[in-house]
Amino acid sequence: MIQQIIYGILYGGVFALAAIGMSMMFGIVGLTNLAHGEFIILAAFLSSVLCTALGCSPFLTLIITVPVMFIVGFILQKVLINYVMGKGANAALLVTFGLSFILKDGMLQIFSADSRRMVVAFQSANIRISDSVVIPVLYLVVCLIGVAVIVILHLFMSKTYVGQSIRATSDDKVAAQLVGVNIKNVTAVAMGIALATAAVSGLTLGMPWPFYATSGSGYLLIAFGVVVLGGMGSMIGALVGGVIFGLAQVLGGSNWGVFISYIILLIFLAVRPQGLFKK
Amino acid sequence: MIKNNARSKTSTIITIVVLAIIVALIYVLAFTGVFSSNLMRILLNICLYASFAVMWNLMAGYAGLTSLGNQAFIGLAGYACAVMCTTYGFGIWVAMLVGGLVCAVLAVILAFALMRMRGMYFAVATWVAAEALKTAFQNWKFVKEGAGMTVKIKPYPTNAEIFALAFGCFIVCMVVVYLLLKSKTGLGLKAMRDDADAASSIGVNIFGSRLLCYVVCGFLTGVAGVIMYISKGSIFPGGGFAIDWTIKIVFIVIIGGIGTAAGPVLGAIIYTLLYEVLAQFAGFTNIVLGIVAIVVIVVLPKGIIGSLENRFKFEILSQRRKSLE
Amino acid sequence: MSEPILKVEHIQAKYGDFIAVHDASLDVPDKSIVSLIGANGAGKSTLMDTIAGAHTPTAGKVFYKGEDITGVPAHELIKRGLALVPQGSRCFVRMSVEDNLRMGSYPKAARAKRADNFERVYNLFPVLKEKRKDASGSLSGGQRQMVAIGRAMMSNPDLVLFDEISLGLAPTIIKDIYATIRQLNAEGLSVVLVEQDIHRSVKTSTYTHVMLKGRVALSGLSKELTEAEIKNAYFGI
Repeated sequence: MIQQIIYGILYGGVFALAAIGMSMMFGIVGLTNLAHGEFIILAAFLSSVLCTALGCSPFLTLIITVPVMFIVGFILQKVLINYVMGKGANAALLVTFGLSFILKDGMLQIFSADSRRMVVAFQSANIRISDSVVIPVLYLVVCLIGVAVIVILHLFMSKTYVGQSIRATSDDKVAAQLVGVNIKNVTAVAMGIALATAAVSGLTLGMPWPFYATSGSGYLLIAFGVVVLGGMGSMIGALVGGVIFGLAQVLGGSNWGVFISYIILLIFLAVRPQGLFKK
Repeated sequence: MIKNNARSKTSTIITIVVLAIIVALIYVLAFTGVFSSNLMRILLNICLYASFAVMWNLMAGYAGLTSLGNQAFIGLAGYACAVMCTTYGFGIWVAMLVGGLVCAVLAVILAFALMRMRGMYFAVATWVAAEALKTAFQNWKFVKEGAGMTVKIKPYPTNAEIFALAFGCFIVCMVVVYLLLKSKTGLGLKAMRDDADAASSIGVNIFGSRLLCYVVCGFLTGVAGVIMYISKGSIFPGGGFAIDWTIKIVFIVIIGGIGTAAGPVLGAIIYTLLYEVLAQFAGFTNIVLGIVAIVVIVVLPKGIIGSLENRFKFEILSQRRKSLE
Repeated sequence: MSEPILKVEHIQAKYGDFIAVHDASLDVPDKSIVSLIGANGAGKSTLMDTIAGAHTPTAGKVFYKGEDITGVPAHELIKRGLALVPQGSRCFVRMSVEDNLRMGSYPKAARAKRADNFERVYNLFPVLKEKRKDASGSLSGGQRQMVAIGRAMMSNPDLVLFDEISLGLAPTIIKDIYATIRQLNAEGLSVVLVEQDIHRSVKTSTYTHVMLKGRVALSGLSKELTEAEIKNAYFGI
């Protein structure tokens, strides 16, 4: 039981990271990116391919995947999504929905339907706490990466001019322009950052678990659940939501865990749609 | 004024008569074997997809409820069909009725749980509900878990009979939506679509109207789903509750024209034909559909029918009431 | 007399087909206070938005410090020292007072002087220092107006356009804000005051322009204009 709770908590950091990019885009820019799960999987494939090609540690692939995903996000937002966001919330929602299945089937064509997994040296290393309780090093590492990214993102959004200009623009476009923000690029930068977090998330999901070209929508729903539980745009909320989801999956077992977490989510949506941490 | 009314009355009668003749003609052609089995299959798909799309459009285009979870109805109906026919040995009429009712009940449950939400919350919540059903059916012994079920009916209906059912279902969907939107509820829905607060302040019962749309959508999507699985012959959870259903439906409504009466029908025709063409490039279908859908959203945000109607100022099957002045 | 800091020549501005400003010309001498008054809908705000680069004119020219700035976007103009305090303050309501002011120092040149400017703004409006951690959306109308003025001052401006800052505020607060503006002007700031109210802004300013239905109907030295003249131009009698 204690062992399972440890797993659940460690999963939480990973799930929270999967959610944070989507949460930021919704909470701050007002865009629901239904392709966020596919972008996570795309980044995982990128990492996996680079890992094999270069023979390096999976962690080093971030040097390439993070900037690549940032650029993808920036261009996507700049040329397509900014344009459709002007045509109402539904249009943008459906465009990202279209993107999600273009990406999914594109990945199926390129990478086949087989599962992949990235392996590191300490794949099955454990820190022994007692006879029946261990802390798996890999899960601990990915969880810490997740927490670290979320903390860095939080500091970035609240302490830097770029981060604040994103928040300011979402509050009042005209006023943001008047203080000197070139608002044309702000949402594109935000999307770039969101996909950069997806790049890290792809790595942290692709090391402990196998992934498929079709895994994206599953992670999207987890990300959505984390965001709903924690409240949109809330960083601490995302961590707590992630842990709740992690515990539900571990304690529910492999067959019913997902079902239980979906039901928790639906009940939550019905009773408290604003999340745990919003008044 | 009287002249005008009389003229519009005659034109309505003419429209109904013409439509009735076309319907009768299609039935005659279907049962006399004029249609090849291939053509019949295509027509069957058009009818079923049009039914799904008309129902999705009722929610997304008129009631302001963009659902990404209508596959829940299709999968549930498919299982209702398999259980009724295979497990209990009932016929197709019972299967259709039970399929529709089960989905209507699901719609009521979902409505009370989810309808306070708006926009993307509602959209993703419906998706989550469908995924929850999928995982439940994957682990439920009674419906043979992930292996799925076959649909056994004695005697199994012929292709022409299945088509006849599908065509009938499509007609019912069109008529129900037409009448619903022409009723007081429909008027309220339109007021609500334009301005929800104002509509509620003048006494439009938003929840009631939406609930009605949701239940109608559940019931008729369910009936069409039963027919779909009678024609398919088997169901498994991964297929029945697949998000792919919604991908197809959304594509159909978007290219046809969201919030228009004829849009989903035209969209269903285009989709089915496009699908036939794309069948030889298996695996690329969704990619093409996705790209076409995005281009349509960017270039023709009101879809083909919506854009045509805007340009030429007409409305097919207008539910607009004739004003009394 | 030195070159005016702002010169507006025959500006026309539209919203779609609606012409909000027909033909507006005015000068703002360097380090002066100029008031622009007019009834609701006279086109004052549109003219200010156009000067500040938040709206593109369909005809006419705007010169600032001798340069043609017609059509230059707002985020460029703020770097050159032209700031607009928009109507209704338009704070970043979900951000704290401190972060609002910090956003005011967004232009690169202003970032270097951020600490000094913070001190200057907190000296002008001590209440903002007390409330610096509060979300600006939780402040009173007068305090939000202070945030908006402070935000503009954080950018080290040479010319500030104040668009109806007294709208909806209590008279005592208006009096304080006007005192602050006079103080800033004494320190070398050029000011344009846009108001619906005739008396206060005319009394404060050196020059007065009166707008009527999208045109500048009357211009002159504030002390030389008679109340009757202003009223006639204002109401179009």
